Amino acid sequence: MTFTVRPDSDAKLRGRIAYATDLDVPGMLWGALVPAPVARGRIRTIDLRPARAIDGVVAIGPAELAELLPSATADVERPVFPSERIVYHGQPLAAVAAPTRALARRAAHAVKVNVEELPAIEEIEGFDPAHPGPNDPEVIAHVLARHGDLDGAFGSADFVLSETYRTAGICQVALEPHACLAEIRGELWHVTTSTQTPFGVREDLASMLGIPEERIVVEGTWVGGGFGGKGSPLLEPYALLLARASGRPVRLALSYREEFQLVRTSLPSVVRIESAVTAGRIVGRRVHWRLDAGSALPGRDFTTGYAIGFIAGPYRIPAIEMEGYAFRTNKPPLGPHRAPMAPQCVFAVESHTDHLAARLGVDPVAFRRSHIWKEGDVTHLGQKVGAFGLDACLERAGTVARTWRKDAPPHTGVAVGVGFWSTVTGAGGEARLLLSPTELTIVEGEREIGSGSVVRGIVAVAEAVLGISRDRVRVEYQDTRTAPFDSGVFGSRTLGALGQAVEKAARGLIDQLAKRLSTPPGSIHLAEEAGELVVVFGSNRPTVRSLLTEKELARGGLSSEGRHYGTSGAIDTERVVDGTFYPYTDFTGAAHVAMVAVDPETGAVRVMRYAAFHDAG
Amino acid sequence: MTAPISRLVVNDRPIDLAAVPVEERLLDTLRWRLGLKGTKEGCRTGGCGACTVLVDGRSVLSCLALTHEFAGTTITTVEGLDTDPVGARVRGAFEEEGALQCGYCTPGFVMALTSLLKEQGTEASPAELAEDLGGNLCRCTGYATIVRAVRRVRGEAP
Repeated sequence: MTFTVRPDSDAKLRGRIAYATDLDVPGMLWGALVPAPVARGRIRTIDLRPARAIDGVVAIGPAELAELLPSATADVERPVFPSERIVYHGQPLAAVAAPTRALARRAAHAVKVNVEELPAIEEIEGFDPAHPGPNDPEVIAHVLARHGDLDGAFGSADFVLSETYRTAGICQVALEPHACLAEIRGELWHVTTSTQTPFGVREDLASMLGIPEERIVVEGTWVGGGFGGKGSPLLEPYALLLARASGRPVRLALSYREEFQLVRTSLPSVVRIESAVTAGRIVGRRVHWRLDAGSALPGRDFTTGYAIGFIAGPYRIPAIEMEGYAFRTNKPPLGPHRAPMAPQCVFAVESHTDHLAARLGVDPVAFRRSHIWKEGDVTHLGQKVGAFGLDACLERAGTVARTWRKDAPPHTGVAVGVGFWSTVTGAGGEARLLLSPTELTIVEGEREIGSGSVVRGIVAVAEAVLGISRDRVRVEYQDTRTAPFDSGVFGSRTLGALGQAVEKAARGLIDQLAKRLSTPPGSIHLAEEAGELVVVFGSNRPTVRSLLTEKELARGGLSSEGRHYGTSGAIDTERVVDGTFYPYTDFTGAAHVAMVAVDPETGAVRVMRYAAFHDAG
Repeated sequence: MTAPISRLVVNDRPIDLAAVPVEERLLDTLRWRLGLKGTKEGCRTGGCGACTVLVDGRSVLSCLALTHEFAGTTITTVEGLDTDPVGARVRGAFEEEGALQCGYCTPGFVMALTSLLKEQGTEASPAELAEDLGGNLCRCTGYATIVRAVRRVRGEAP
């Protein structure tokens, strides 16, 4: 595919795209959250009266929840407001709404919070993970898988290399802070928000607020950067409750300070990796890792079970043990950030791989290539490896690295690393297309987050199947009441999964048109003629208009739906000792080369050159 | 108290400042009082550049500026560049190079580059211009395409 101008370019360059931070409706109030002043503690009292004394201020806390949600059974794991236990610094204890931003901030500061502080649990090292003591963090998830003759591999190894790698949590820091606008419309709790997953937010809100999904409407806005941080609700429950309490639309947005305090940053990790090496080959590996999950982990086992796919590297190793723990600490609930868990795992494994090659005195790229998975190999969990172009990427990266090393100045280094990812096309989606006499409409629930997968990717799929040009394809965004279900824009899945749903729906249109012309679907395609769409069929060119019924024309055109729910290979359950594991759906990988310079005086590191080779399928 | 000069001009429109509180930031006046939402609110601490506007042609971070400081000046926001020839060149270069992703930083980059081109005429090299855009962040990390757009706007084939 050649590069084409993005359809959203002009509107974005002229500042005409409305993001959630731009939402503004008449009568709107500004919300603000009242943060917990300690990371762990017990609430003695929350006094909302000083805030309510400010003119026009509405204030809610745990006591008001029952009144606002009379039939609710709130989510125990994710309480909207804690009634007793504070579990992280900045945890919302109450919320206020006021006619202006300044008044809302003033009111939030005026709320009097009286708490008893308790020692915070923050460390995930220095104790036996299988038996944490009373002051150690609670185990929130555990996974263990094993395969092959580990004792044999380690017992007779030429050498064993043991290393520990640590990573810190990383905040997504989208340039657009989290923001939403909530409004109660009759029985419907309506929220317009910047989200990667409108349907996921609806499901989570139903659980957090204890009200049925059909009463919640989520309308996605254009997203000013997500990076995994805009996947689950954050501000939406508070904005909705404030709207309910005030009877007015309520805007709630985070300041950047709050952004750093409250968003679901990636999980800090400690990875211990041990490799047994004999005759230049890795014959056994044990990996034990600990994850800091914060105060709650949406998906629980998912994060640990998913990590296991990346924790030992895409390398053939005959004997392996992989064990992981996730712990609950007094930090905000943590979550995904750009390929959840893969960076933590890849950092440890690839650094370790370089050290193994150095110990053996062999070229690190050649060492990787002698172990790397190829199509037909099996993964550490016994799944058959599908089409996988990582070795070809490595070969190219190795050539570049050798060239760069030749003219590397002093205090610089060149290294190659591989990353891989199970593109999450298993997360399903549905597409609805409407073919009018003059254009094709793709109905969608989620907006573009930046990658181009929605504004350009799925549109290109429809163009290719139908044979029409891009200016004949339009994407129409609807809210969760009417849009077809889709899992969301995340995990590199959108074009792969939703694209396949669009492809099936487009083929459905061709099938319907072919049937009306009594010809096989393969014999027709669409084209444009004098402002109309026509069906090219031998030497005939009937207009689409002439093939639609009166009823279809009245409805706006011919409709077609497509579904894609991905399948993945099976893992070998014999290898699983404890926990839930996930097979890969697709095997995608990349090899990158970096040249970095280190300042010998200050230790500052600067990236001088960078090259990336990706298996694009 | 009345300020000595109580007006400013935004995109050719005179604005009376009498109703604007002295502590109001220029960013908030533009976005919430005048409805000019093309100027983006990012960090509100001068770190990201998303709120960049032109004051008498020079780029200013509107989140760090109080509106009353600018009485008597002419302010241009991204909406005001709609028919500006330099703004059009910048937009064209960004579009051709695909130099935008989520788009939240984009109006800030357009403003900053337009200001540099107007200020420095044709003298600055693409490398100097790119260096001068250092106050604008793109969290999608699309810098390579932005640098190519700068070269294109300077007439260099990327």
